[in-house]
Amino acid sequence: MDKTTIICRCEEISYEEIEDVISIGARRFDDVKRLTRCGMGPCQSKICSSLVAEIIHDKTGLPFPEIPLPRMRMPISPIKIGTLTTNSTTFSSVKSVLDEVELEDGKVK
Amino acid sequence: METDVLIIGAGPAGLTAAVETASRGLDVTIVEESLSMGGQLIQQTQVLGSLPSFYQPKRGFELAQRLRKLVEDTSVRCLLGHRVIGFYKDGSVGISDEANVFPLKAKKIIVATGAAEKAIAFPKWTLPGIMTIGAAQTLLNRDFVLPGKHAVIIGTSDFAMDVALQLSEGGVQVKAMVEKSQTVLARDTEKVNQVSKMGIPVHVNSSIKEARGIGRVEEIDIEQREQIMTIPLDTVCVDGGRSPILDVFYQLECSFGYQRELGGWIPQYNPFFRTDREDVFLAGNAAGVSSQGVLLVTGIIAGINASESLGALSKEEAEIKTTSLWKEIETLETKLDPDVWNARIRHVQNYEHPVLTDQFIS
Amino acid sequence: MHIKHHPILGEQLQKQVTIYFKDEPYTAYEQQSVAAALLANDIKQLGVSRNLVQPRGMFCSRGRCCSCYMTVNGEDHVRTCMTKVVDGMKIYPNDGDPQVRSESHGD
Repeated sequence: MDKTTIICRCEEISYEEIEDVISIGARRFDDVKRLTRCGMGPCQSKICSSLVAEIIHDKTGLPFPEIPLPRMRMPISPIKIGTLTTNSTTFSSVKSVLDEVELEDGKVK
Repeated sequence: METDVLIIGAGPAGLTAAVETASRGLDVTIVEESLSMGGQLIQQTQVLGSLPSFYQPKRGFELAQRLRKLVEDTSVRCLLGHRVIGFYKDGSVGISDEANVFPLKAKKIIVATGAAEKAIAFPKWTLPGIMTIGAAQTLLNRDFVLPGKHAVIIGTSDFAMDVALQLSEGGVQVKAMVEKSQTVLARDTEKVNQVSKMGIPVHVNSSIKEARGIGRVEEIDIEQREQIMTIPLDTVCVDGGRSPILDVFYQLECSFGYQRELGGWIPQYNPFFRTDREDVFLAGNAAGVSSQGVLLVTGIIAGINASESLGALSKEEAEIKTTSLWKEIETLETKLDPDVWNARIRHVQNYEHPVLTDQFIS
Repeated sequence: MHIKHHPILGEQLQKQVTIYFKDEPYTAYEQQSVAAALLANDIKQLGVSRNLVQPRGMFCSRGRCCSCYMTVNGEDHVRTCMTKVVDGMKIYPNDGDPQVRSESHGD
């Protein structure tokens, strides 16, 4: 692995960028994420989270049980906004983000 | 939509859990993202050696067919091509069929989401033609597509040996297997001998230094004792091991513990395969990466205890069955790797003392 | 290359279909995923990355890594490892972010 090796395939964050934020104190995946955008692309850290944990472990010596999991939010996998906004029979808090968007024939009013 | 038991994932563990619950008269629903039942078993063409004592040895896809038949003989509702995307405030499960999202209210949930392959990073590992070893196997045995003509496998686990043999038999020239440790990781010496008989060179103390290619992988450099070996190829299969898929547990606010031998972070659970959420059970690789035989048994235990929690089975009977099934896990897992079994025991004993509980405060 | 005769599973490819990649016809078989069918036709690069414009192809084949995103029948960002081929399917590479702000998208 050299410094230019991509760690996050989606946002294209390199080994060097992760190394840099660890040197200023990042100690868990979410620290690295907030400082670099690592894990914020379409896969939502499904591929890079274990790679990042390994780098944190290598650089700081922190044991793996002390490097927590990234935060995993809804939706669990990519979904079309159109699917989320369908006229489901039961309206719900899952759709809260979209509550304010009113649709008419599939178009925003 | 309402159901007694919702099972997330139709792999080996999800299917045995479905049979256990449905056969006791419960209303059972399975949600499965792909369009077929069986999970990763459907592309396993190797004979599975270490199945529970009540199964004959068979190939993975044959086991999948058998489990599918057992499920089809029950009244289980199988939502294929559906996936869980999150949870509603009232606890019901948000399920999507791609056209719509709808809530499903379940009295008990059994999470059997399985494990995901981990990546190995090296310069230019993002080039097309570089894929996980499971992806290469899926192409070969599920989609009937040759992944390439010349391949190198990074890793030497038992699974890597299986896939190396399958690729060779399918017509791919496996040019090398590369292992960074001092010895081959596979424990099945018979398989290792078969690989060597096939003429596949295995390089230990070696690692992949770089991949190169324009628009696709064309060659890689292997570093062995400071010497560089360049191999022209069109396919690289990376075997980075597997870790449990946890997204669903995380959203359910389950606690986690860490056991390297079981794949890293895993949800905390007790001997009844119940998480620290009273209505959430788990089974299969999601409860710690193990052999297919063990996965089947964990599904049965989760199914039995979910049934017990709904009054479909007496407490005494559930306990007797659970104890004898744990003996089965011990036999299978000790044979597979005593370290995996010891890690599982440690993990269950840690039930009251999870490592990660405050994951929402960060 | 399609496997006409599998060493263990025998002849499995039954129903042939035609798919179109960048308007060119290619042979595929029902039950194959889009990404697999393209690979059988030696198409490995399915798109490019967003920032550095580097080639991307199928990686995990489990619908997780999103490296196989393509535009299928007019829909952007389809995970082609999880989508089965359909006769006449029109497929284009994921060569940039789709246009989201336009009259037809309500903006």
